[in-house]
Amino acid sequence: MDIELNDAELVLQIGSGNDREAEAELFRRMAPRVRLYGLRHLRDEQAAQDLTQQVLITTLEALRAGRLREPEKLASFVLGACRMTVLDLRRNAQRKERLLEQFGADLPAPVPWSLPHLDHEQLTRCVQNLKERERSVVVMSFYNEQTSADVARLLGVSDANVRVIRHRAIHQLRECMGVAA
Amino acid sequence: MNCANPINAAVLADYWLAALAGPEEEAVELHLLDCDHCGARLREVIALAEGVRKIAREGSLRMVVSDSFLKRLADEGLRIREYAPPAGGSVQCTVTAEDDFLIARLAANLSAAKRVDLCLCDERGVEQGRMPDIPVQPGAGNVVYQESITWAKAMPSSTMIARLVTFDEAGDERLLGEYTFNHTRSMPGPGAWPPVA
Repeated sequence: MDIELNDAELVLQIGSGNDREAEAELFRRMAPRVRLYGLRHLRDEQAAQDLTQQVLITTLEALRAGRLREPEKLASFVLGACRMTVLDLRRNAQRKERLLEQFGADLPAPVPWSLPHLDHEQLTRCVQNLKERERSVVVMSFYNEQTSADVARLLGVSDANVRVIRHRAIHQLRECMGVAA
Repeated sequence: MNCANPINAAVLADYWLAALAGPEEEAVELHLLDCDHCGARLREVIALAEGVRKIAREGSLRMVVSDSFLKRLADEGLRIREYAPPAGGSVQCTVTAEDDFLIARLAANLSAAKRVDLCLCDERGVEQGRMPDIPVQPGAGNVVYQESITWAKAMPSSTMIARLVTFDEAGDERLLGEYTFNHTRSMPGPGAWPPVA
């Protein structure tokens, strides 16, 4: 498999016939991206994994059938599949079973998932070194998962101001942790 | 794995927090489904968010928090020890091994204060540290301060004075409230801090 193929070329390759290598490459390429979407919207690793599997099955099904008319719009197609699948996940377990039965054997094993390691002690120092408002905004946002409006109300500042404070704090934390902005 | 137009890390944090408007979120998602470089950056942001969550649950940060933050901690089964001395008053306090968080609720009239500093002083009232421009909710009537539980558990019996101060038009400091904490050690450890060399 020539892994230099771009996404659109992969789409064409898969649509032209039963090319398992091209399908495996598409899976390898798209699975981590779809899983990030799943983590963001479902906040659960297993659910994100289920989403990934279903979205890629749906995508392969469409590509094999040549239903993606504009191959360069693969990301747009996958995003649509992600949205539909998130909606379907809770209400249509039967379709999941049917698709897994039909396509599951074709799918490669899940791609191992991990987040970058951060030095906990260093991060603690970096958080403590933020200015008071920045520390409160970051902790309330990430721990409490409060919206900017909620944090703004609690701190007596504007919604936009919370976003500015959070942006500044994120950049300072990344810089303090030695990560490029 | 490079990107000619990488998404700003702060925008990725907004994305993770579901803080982007619909069209902006869609643009970010389309980009992420097409770009492993920015996907890696998002994973860094998620790791940062998870790290901050973990640190927040340890109770070791000194910071101003909100009641909803305390409620979330309590909902998670974490044990919060809270003291609420009146302005100008004092309180007897301690921490035990079972405590996860130590909170001081400092009552004050904050309605006219544009900037508030929290000063931490020794038993003589000599300032040992200052948290400038703390976040305050003007109508709240108090500041909820989280002391480091790690530090408090190691602290020998001693007195700490906290002061909330604001500034008038001329920039002169004005006291909003002073609060004395008479801490009694209830855990094994040294009877006093070692002398400063």
